[in-house]
Amino acid sequence: MLYLCNQTMQKIQINSHNFILHPSGAIYWEAKKMLLIADVHLGKVVHFRKHGSPVPSNAAYKNLEKLTEVTNHFEPETVCFLGDLFHSKLNEEWHDFKKWVEYCKADVILISGNHDIIPKYLYEDLGVKVFDELLLDGFYLTHHPTEIKGTFNFSGHIHPGIRMKGVGRQYLSLPCFYKTESQLILPAFGNFTGKHILTPSEKDAVFAIVEGEVICVSKK
Amino acid sequence: MNNTHITDIAASWFESKNWTAFPFQQKTWKAFLDGKHGLLNAPTGSGKTYALWVPIVLQYLKENPNYKTKHTKGIKAIWITPLRALSIEIQQSAQRFADDLGTGLTVGIRTGDTSQSDRAKQKRQMPDLLITTPESLMLLLASKDYDKTFKSLTAIVVDEWHELLGSKRGVQMELALSRLKTVSPKLRIWGISATIGNLEEAMDVLLGVNRNVTLSGVEGSVLIKSEQKSKIEVRSIIPKKMETFPWRGHLGLHLLEEIVPIIKASKTTIIFTNTRGQCEIWFQKLLEKHPEFAGEIAMHHGSIAKDTRLWVEQAIRNESLLAVVATSSLDLGVDFAPVETVIQIGSPKGVAKFLQRAGRSNHRPGEPSVIYFLPTHALELLEASALKRAVKDEVVEDRIPYLLSFDVLIQYLVTLAVSNGFFPKEIFPEIKSTFCFQGITEEKWNWCLNFITLGSQSLQAYDEYKKVEVTEEGLFKVESKQVAMMHRLSIGTIVSDSMMQVKYVSGGFIGTIEEWFISKMKPGDTFVFAGRTLELVRLRQMQAQVRKSKKRTANVVSFMGGRLPLSSQMSKILREEMQSEADHKRNTPELKALSHIFDRQERESIVPGENEFLIETFKTREGYHSIFYPFEGRFVHEAMSSLLAYRISLLSPITFSLAYNDYGFELLSDQFLDIQTVLDNNLFSAEYLFDDLQKSLNSTELARRKFRDIAVISGMVFQGYPNKVIKTKHLQSNSQLLFDVFRDYEPDNLLYLQAYRETFEHQLEEGRLRLALERINSQKIIWKQCEKATPFSFPIITDRLREKLSSEKLADRIKRMTLQLMK
Repeated sequence: MLYLCNQTMQKIQINSHNFILHPSGAIYWEAKKMLLIADVHLGKVVHFRKHGSPVPSNAAYKNLEKLTEVTNHFEPETVCFLGDLFHSKLNEEWHDFKKWVEYCKADVILISGNHDIIPKYLYEDLGVKVFDELLLDGFYLTHHPTEIKGTFNFSGHIHPGIRMKGVGRQYLSLPCFYKTESQLILPAFGNFTGKHILTPSEKDAVFAIVEGEVICVSKK
Repeated sequence: MNNTHITDIAASWFESKNWTAFPFQQKTWKAFLDGKHGLLNAPTGSGKTYALWVPIVLQYLKENPNYKTKHTKGIKAIWITPLRALSIEIQQSAQRFADDLGTGLTVGIRTGDTSQSDRAKQKRQMPDLLITTPESLMLLLASKDYDKTFKSLTAIVVDEWHELLGSKRGVQMELALSRLKTVSPKLRIWGISATIGNLEEAMDVLLGVNRNVTLSGVEGSVLIKSEQKSKIEVRSIIPKKMETFPWRGHLGLHLLEEIVPIIKASKTTIIFTNTRGQCEIWFQKLLEKHPEFAGEIAMHHGSIAKDTRLWVEQAIRNESLLAVVATSSLDLGVDFAPVETVIQIGSPKGVAKFLQRAGRSNHRPGEPSVIYFLPTHALELLEASALKRAVKDEVVEDRIPYLLSFDVLIQYLVTLAVSNGFFPKEIFPEIKSTFCFQGITEEKWNWCLNFITLGSQSLQAYDEYKKVEVTEEGLFKVESKQVAMMHRLSIGTIVSDSMMQVKYVSGGFIGTIEEWFISKMKPGDTFVFAGRTLELVRLRQMQAQVRKSKKRTANVVSFMGGRLPLSSQMSKILREEMQSEADHKRNTPELKALSHIFDRQERESIVPGENEFLIETFKTREGYHSIFYPFEGRFVHEAMSSLLAYRISLLSPITFSLAYNDYGFELLSDQFLDIQTVLDNNLFSAEYLFDDLQKSLNSTELARRKFRDIAVISGMVFQGYPNKVIKTKHLQSNSQLLFDVFRDYEPDNLLYLQAYRETFEHQLEEGRLRLALERINSQKIIWKQCEKATPFSFPIITDRLREKLSSEKLADRIKRMTLQLMK
C-alpha cells in the first residue's frame, strides 16, 4: 500500500469499498483514489474581518496548510469538496486557494453547497469542475444529506458532533463522522466552523475526532 | 440673583406643598449652585429627585432672569437611570416643579422604549431635561454633532450609581462623562447612591482622577449623606413541620400557604423574588391555589411590557392591589410611598439588597420596617439568622469597580468614530482621566487604536479588514454605513441574550423573553408568561406570535441570569452562626427550627466548629464525592475548587466535575480520591497560588465564559438585527469559536487576556481566596468518610451547573464514556 493507515485513522468498508477516515475530517476512497472533504468555509475569516469583526488573520492560513498536509499524505488522484468550500463572496483568500490548486497534483472537483455563491466559471478557469451532485459506482455525493434508494450518500452541511457521557457527571462533545445505514455525513474540515450536536440511534455508527485520532464510539 | 435669594424660591415652593426641605436637600442645592461636583448618598423614596432637580432649575433661573417670558433653548441637564422603568416617576416629579415655578422647562425621556418619531423630534430639539439610560446616552454620542447638542449642559445626574458602579455599564458612564466634561464646559457631575461600603471610592470613580478640579475654580467635590436612618425588623417564616421541609431547592413553594395570611392581613404586600422565572411561578401558583386573589394581585419584572409595569407601579401607589410579586425591577428606584408589608423569598445573598428591599415597607411612621424572610430550603434558615445579625450590626458590602475594560473602551472609540470621528491625541488624555483607565499605558492605547483600524497589530498583505479608517488629517472615522449601523445596534447589548418579543396574533405586546427559551418550542406548545397561559402560534422576524390558551401547563418562562454569590461580609456572619450551632447554643428561632437537620448532620458527620475544617467523602451511583466546607461564599468556592482539582490532577491523571454553593464545594470523580494524599501534599497551601490558579483556569471554562460578554461588547460578535428580516447568518459566529481561535492564533490579544484578568478580579477574588486558604491552614482538618450524602452535602451534590477539570488524555476518557443515544 502506498498510503499509510496508522492507528490515528479508521478504515471502514461500505458496499465492499474501502474508506479511510482521517482525523482532519477527510475521507479517502481507496478504489477511486479520491479524497472527500466537506465544509472548509475558506474565506470565512477574511469575510468576518471585512465586516469589522477582527478574527485573527493567521487562522485563515491554517485551512490551506491542513489541505496541503492531507493531500500530501494520501496523494489522491481526485480531491472532491462536498460543498461550502468558500464561505461567501470572492475575497483575498481566493488567491491563496488558486495557488493551492496549481500546486495540487490531483484533479479538484466541487459539489456545490448553499454557501458556494462564487460563480462557476471562476472555478472552471482554475480547472476545478463544479457539480450539483455526483453518482459514482453507487455512491451518491452531495452537499446536503440526500437519500436515494439503492445508493449510499456522502455529504456535509451539518457539521456533525456528538455528546458523550461518563460516570461522575462527565460530559464531552466532539466533532464526528456520522454514519447511518445508507449515508455518511462528514465533519466540517474548516477550523473556524462550529458543530451541530446529533443524537444517534442504536443503528448508527459514530467516529469521533479526538485530539488527532479517529475513534469509534458507537457499538456498531 | 444670588444663591440665597434663589434657594428661597425653592423653599417657598416646598412650603406651598406643606413640605420642609431636608438638610441634605438644602446642602445639595448649595453645593450645586456653588458649582461643585458631588455624590449624594440617599435611599430611594427620600426625596433625592428634588435634592438635585431643584438646583438644576434654580441655576437656569439664575442665568435667565427673564425666564417667565423668554425660554432659552438647548438641553440643560441629563438624568441617567439604570432601569428605563424608573424614568416616568422622575419625569413626573421634575415636570411638576418646573411647571409650578412657571419656568417653561420641558422634561423628556429617551430609552429603548422611546418611539422612532419621538427620537427624531428630540434630535431636532432636545428637551431641557433628558432622562435616559447609559446605553441611550452612548447612542447619542454615536450621532453626528453630539458636541453641539450637549454644549449647553449644566448638569448630569447619575441616579442609582451604586447599581452601575460594579458593572461595565459603569465604565460606559465613566467614558461618556470624560467626553462630556470637554464638550460641555459648564457641566456639574452628580451621582446618587444607596449606602454601600465604599462610598468614597464610588465618588472617585464617578468624577475621575481630577475630581477636585471643578467649575469656576471651586475647590473640592462633596459627599453628602442624608441622615435618615430606618429601623428594620426581620421575621423568618419558619416551616411548621421542619421534617418535611426540603434540603434543597430555590422556589420555596412549600411555604406558599404561610404567606397567605400575611397578604390578607395587610393593605398591600410586595413579594420579592430573586429571578424573573421564580416571579412568574410564584404568581401562577398563588392564583392557582387562591383563585380569590384574581384581579387583586399582579406581577412586575423587567421583561413585562412597559404599560403593564407602569400600571402596577401606579396601583401600588393607590394601594389598589393586595399584592405584587416582583423582582429587582421594583426594588430599584421606583418611587412610591412604602407599602405595608414586604416578603423576601429565598436568600437575597447580600445585606445591601436585603436592606433596600426591607426599606420598601413601613407600617406607620416612626415604627420599624418589617420584612418577612421565606426560606426556600432548610439551610437557608441559617442565612436568615445571619441576615438578622447583619442588619443589627449594620454590615454593608462594597461594589468593586472594573479596571482597564478594553472591550468597553473599544466600543466607545468606535462610537466616537461613528459620529464625528476623533483625534487620538485629544481623546487619550480624557481616557486617562477616568478611574477605569487611569493605568492605561501608551502602548496599550496604541494597541486599541490598531485593533479598531487594522483588526490586529501589524498590517498584513491582502488584508481587507474594515472598521475604523484614518483620514489624511489623522481623524479616526467610520465611513461604512453598514459598520455604523451594526455598531449602533450593538451598543445596547451589554450582556443580554437575544431577546424576542411576545405578541398576540391579533396584535398587542406582552413582553420580551430570551430567544433560547422559545427556540425549544414548536407551534402549538403552551407556556406561562406574564401571568398568562399562551400558545405559540408561529415565530416570525424575532417575534413569537401567541394566543391565549386554556390548557394547563407547567412550562413557565425561564430566564438565564447568574446566581448571586454570597458576599464576603455575609459569609463571615454565616460562619459565625454555624459555629454558634456547633457550640450548641441554638439561640435564634431559625437555628432552633433547624435542630433536626443539625442532629442528623452530627449523626452522619459533624457540624464544624470555629477551628475545624470539614471534608466529607462518600460513594454513590454517580461516582466518588469529596465535599469541602470552607463557608466562604460561592465565588471563593469556585476558585478554590478549581485550584484544588488542578493540584490533585498533577499527582495522577484524573477527571473531576466541580460543583459549589455558598457553603462548600464538591470534587466528583469516577475514580477514588484519597483525601490523605491531599493533606500529605499540603494542597491547601497559599504558595504559588497565582500561578496554580492561572493554570487551573486554562483547564476550566471560567475565562471562556467571561469572554462571551467581552466579544459582544467589543463588537467581535454581531448578534443580528432586532426585529429585522435581514439575514446576517453569514456574519454570525459564537464567542466560543472566537475564544479558541484567539487562543490558537493570537494569545497576546488584550481582549482575550482580559477574560482571564476579569475572572481573577471579579469572579475568583484572589485576595479573598488567599485569606480563606490561610484560615484553612490554621484550622484542624476533619475528614469524615460517610455512608451516604449528608444534609450539608445534599444541595451541592444535586447541583447541575458544573465545571470540569481533567489531566487525563481525552482518548482515555472517551473509552470509559458512553454515547448519548436517542431515547
